Amino acid sequence: MRKLLSSIIGLTLLISGCSSSNQIGKSRLDIIKQRNQLICGVSGKIPGFSFLNTNGKYSGLDVDICKAISAAFLESPNNIQLRPLTAAERFTSLRTGEIDLLSRNTTFNLSRDSQKGNGLSFAPVVFHDGQGLMVKINSGVKDLKDLSNKSICVGSGTTTEQNINDAFEEKSLKYTPIKYQDLNQVIAGYLQGRCAAMTSDRSQLAAARSSFKNPGNHVILDNILSKEPLAPATVGNDERLADAVRWVIYALIEAEEKGITQSNINQKLDLAKDNKGMKPLRRFLGIEGDLGEKLGLANDFVVKIIKTTGNYGEIYNRNLGPNSQVYIPRGLNQISKQGGILISPPFN
Amino acid sequence: MRFTKSYIIQYLFLLIIILFLILIINNVHFNLIRTGLGFDFAWLFRPASFSLAEHILPYSPSNSFAWALLVGWTNSLRVIFVALIFSTIIGISAGILGKSHNYILKFISRLYILIIRQTPLLLQLLFWYFVGFLSIRNPVNIIVPIINISNQGINIFGYILTPEFSSLIIGLSVFTGAYIAEIVRGGLNSVPKGQWEAYKSLGISDSIGLKDIIIPQALPAILPGLTSQYLNLAKNSTLAIAVGYADIYAVSDTVINQTGKSIEGFILLLIGFLFINLIISNIMEFFNRNILKNKA
Amino acid sequence: MKIITKDIKFLLFKARKIGINNKTDLFITFILLVGVFATLTNFLNWIFFHANWEVVSRNLNLYIIGTYPKALSWRPFLWISIIILLSFTTLLKKLNYIKKRFIYICWLLIIPLGIYLLAGGINIIPISTNFWGGLSLTLILTFISIIIALPIGILLALGRQSNLLIIKKITSLYIDCMRSVPLIAILFFGQLLTPLLLPVGMEINRVIRAIFSFSIFVSAYISEDIRGGLQSVPQNQIEAAKVLGLNKYQINKFIVLPQALIIAIPALTNQAIGLLQNTSLMAILGLVELLGISRSILANPQFIGSHLEVYVWLALIYWLVCTIIALLAKKIERHFSKSLNFQGDL
Repeated sequence: MRKLLSSIIGLTLLISGCSSSNQIGKSRLDIIKQRNQLICGVSGKIPGFSFLNTNGKYSGLDVDICKAISAAFLESPNNIQLRPLTAAERFTSLRTGEIDLLSRNTTFNLSRDSQKGNGLSFAPVVFHDGQGLMVKINSGVKDLKDLSNKSICVGSGTTTEQNINDAFEEKSLKYTPIKYQDLNQVIAGYLQGRCAAMTSDRSQLAAARSSFKNPGNHVILDNILSKEPLAPATVGNDERLADAVRWVIYALIEAEEKGITQSNINQKLDLAKDNKGMKPLRRFLGIEGDLGEKLGLANDFVVKIIKTTGNYGEIYNRNLGPNSQVYIPRGLNQISKQGGILISPPFN
Repeated sequence: MRFTKSYIIQYLFLLIIILFLILIINNVHFNLIRTGLGFDFAWLFRPASFSLAEHILPYSPSNSFAWALLVGWTNSLRVIFVALIFSTIIGISAGILGKSHNYILKFISRLYILIIRQTPLLLQLLFWYFVGFLSIRNPVNIIVPIINISNQGINIFGYILTPEFSSLIIGLSVFTGAYIAEIVRGGLNSVPKGQWEAYKSLGISDSIGLKDIIIPQALPAILPGLTSQYLNLAKNSTLAIAVGYADIYAVSDTVINQTGKSIEGFILLLIGFLFINLIISNIMEFFNRNILKNKA
Repeated sequence: MKIITKDIKFLLFKARKIGINNKTDLFITFILLVGVFATLTNFLNWIFFHANWEVVSRNLNLYIIGTYPKALSWRPFLWISIIILLSFTTLLKKLNYIKKRFIYICWLLIIPLGIYLLAGGINIIPISTNFWGGLSLTLILTFISIIIALPIGILLALGRQSNLLIIKKITSLYIDCMRSVPLIAILFFGQLLTPLLLPVGMEINRVIRAIFSFSIFVSAYISEDIRGGLQSVPQNQIEAAKVLGLNKYQINKFIVLPQALIIAIPALTNQAIGLLQNTSLMAILGLVELLGISRSILANPQFIGSHLEVYVWLALIYWLVCTIIALLAKKIERHFSKSLNFQGDL
C-alpha cells in the first residue's frame, strides 16, 4: 500500500513538473502576442482614470495607457481585455498570471517593486500624485492637528490607509479611520457627513470635488501626506515584458517632447522619410535602425501608439484636461521643458 | 462478495480524494515557490501599522497583526450577539403578528417578510448605511435626553454606537428577523388547533395563552430552525466590509493586502470562524437541553 | 348626521370583521398603520418629485447586459426576453399535460441557450466572459451554479445516508465544513486562491471560478435539504420495494429520490433565491454583475451621489426576479405533487 501511494505521489509530481517546465522561461510578451490579446487590470471605479461610460466602455488615463501598450504589442489596439479589479486582488492577479499588466493607479514604492516584497516590476510613472485631505470649508479645519480625534474616510487596501496612519502617528495625534471599499463610497461617506475629512490622492480629491454640486464648499488642505507616483506594473521576473512596457510609456513622453501628435503623425512620418538627415526622428519612428526589434516589438511601434492614443499630453488632456469631466491641472505631470518632471531617456 | 465490493468502492473513493489533495498541495507548493509568496506565520508578530475605527480590546497601530486579527474577531462577536438578540425580538414579534386575527397586522407582517426575503442582504446593508444613517441631516431625538440618532451614529446615554455598527445591526436583525418570523409561524402552526381553542374557551387572555401554553409547545419545532438562522446571521455578518465595519473578514482582508500572505490569512479567517460557530452552537445546545429538561 | 353615525357603526363593524377586538389591538394597529403610511408617503413623494432617475434611464443597457459589446447586445437581450416570455406563459396560462411537458423542456434548454448566446461559438462570434455583466451575468451565474450544485447535492445527501462508513464520514465532513464557513470566504478563496491551486499555465476565468465557488457552497446546503426530504419518505415504501425485489440503486432512483426531491422543492427554491441574492457578493470581489455594475456606474462623475436611486432600482429588480422564481417554483411543486399523486402535507 505504501509503495503504491508513494509511486502515485511521484507520478503526480512528475506530471505537474512536466506541465510547468515548458511555460517557464517564456516571456509573457510572447504569450500576449500568441493569444493576440492584452489583459489589463484596471480599477473601473475611479473618475478620470478608469470608469464605466454610459455606453458600456471603460475610459480614462489608465485605460488609454493600456490601449497604447496594446497598440505597440499587437496588430490592433482593440485586442484588449480590461478587467476591473479590487485594490485587494490586484497584486495576486498579476502574480498568478491572470492579467498581463496592471494599470490601476498603483503607487510605485520599494516594497511593491522588490522581489522579496510584492515582486512587481514598475514601468515609468504616468501620473505624479500626492496624498491629500479634503475638508468642508465651514468646518474651519486648516491643518492636520485640527483633525485630531475626528473621523476620516479612507479607501481600504491602499497605500492611502498606511500614509494617513503614518502622518498622524508622527505627530502623535489620534483619529478614527472609516474604511470603505472603493472611492465612490469614500466620497459618499464624506459628502453625507460621516467624516470630517476624506483622504486620497490629490488628483482624485480634485476629480471628486469637481463633480460635487457645490465644489466651492470644499477645500483640499495644503498638507501633502506622501508622494504618490502612480505607474503601471508587470510581474517581477519578466525583464522583456517590463522593458517593452517601459519604453512604450517613454515613447508617449518622447512624442510630446518632439511635438508628434495623433493629427500630425502622418506628416511627421513623410517628413522623416524624405529627409535622411533627421536621424533621431527616423530612429524614433522606426524608419531607420532596429529599436523596436530590440524590444521584441515592431520597428514602427511608436507610430502605432501615436495613431491610436496620441502622445502623453493628448492622453492627459482627453481624460483630465480642462475640457474633460474631471479637470486636474497638469502640475508636475508636464514634460520637463514645460516645467514638469516628465522626461524620457533618449531613443538610441 | 458484497462486503468486499463495498470496501473496494470506499477505498477507491478515499484514494481518489487523497490523490486530488496531493495534486493540489503539490500545485500550491510549486506555485508558492514560483511566485515567491512563501508560507510562514512569522509576519503575525510584526506591527500592523493600520488603525481600526472600532475596538473593544485596546488597540493601536503598533500592535501586531495577530492582535489586529483578534480585535477584528471580537468585533465580529459583538455584532453577532447584539444582532442575534434584536433579530430574535423582531422575528418572534413578526411571527406572532403573522398569526394574529387582525388582518392589518397580518398584512404588515407578511409585507415585511415579502420585501425583506426577496432582496439581497448586501443591498439592504448598503441601503441602511448610506440612506438610512448617513443621509440624516438633522439629528433625531427619540426620547429627548436618552436616544439621539444622527449621521454620527446612535447616542444612548452618552454611549455612542457608530453608524457602521448600527446599520449592520439593523440590517442583519431586520433580514434575519424575517427568516425567524417564518420559522416562528411554522412552529406556531405545528401546535394543534385544539390547544388554541382550549385556552380561549378557558377565558385566558391571548398574551398569557401564547406565553404559557402555545409557545412552550412550539419551541421544540422552532429551536433547530432558530439555531441555523443564528449560524447564518454569524456568516452574514462578514458583509460588514461593505459598510466599513472592521469585522474579522474586513481585518483579514486588510492584513492579506498589506502582507500578501493570502493563504495564511485565509486559514486564520477559517479558524476564527470555526470558533464563532462553536460558540453559537454550544450556546444553542445548552438552551435546547435546558428547555427539554424543563419540559420533562 | 345620521349618515355619519351609520358610517361609524359600519366602520366599527368592519374593524371587528378584520379582527380588531380590543383597545390594545387597536392601538398597535394604529401605530403600525401610521408608521407604514408615513414611510409610504415620504417614499412616494421622493420617487415622483425628488429622485433623479437619470442614473437609471441613461444606463439601462448597462444594468441588463453590462459591458457586453454593443453590436452584439441583441444576444443577452434575446436570452432575457425568452426567459421573461417563458416565465409568463408558465405562470399565466392554464396548460394541458403535453404543453406542460413542452414548457419544462424549454426551461431545461434555457441554460444551454444562455451559455450559447452569451459566450458564442458555433456560427456566432465568441465573447469572453470578461464582457459579461449586469442582470444577464447575475442570472447565468445563478442558473449554472444551481444546475451544477443540484446533482452534487443529491450525491452528497445519498453519501451522508450511506452505510459505507468512509463515504459517510467524508461527505459529512465536507457538508459540515462548507456550512460553517461564510460564503464570502469561499468566494474569496475562489477568486484569489484557486489560481495558486492550479498547475502553472492553466487558467480558469473569473466567471467560471465564481460558478465553481457558488456550486461547492450551495451543494452543501442543497444536500441537507434533500436529506430532509429523504428522511421524510415513509420507511414502509422502502420495505415494500425491497419485498418487490428492487435493488438499492433502483429503490433510490425510482422510489425514494423522486419523492424526496418533490418534498424538498420549497427548500430548494429558497436556496435558489438565496443564491441569486448572494451573487451580489461578487460585487465585493470585482465581478460586474448587477450590483457590481451599479457600483461602477456610481463612479461615473455624472452620477456621483445618486446612491438612493440606484439602490431602490436594484431592490426592485432583485425583488421582481426573486418573486418570479418563487411563483414558478410553487407552480412546479403543485404540478409534480399532483402528477405523482402524492398524498400528505407538503
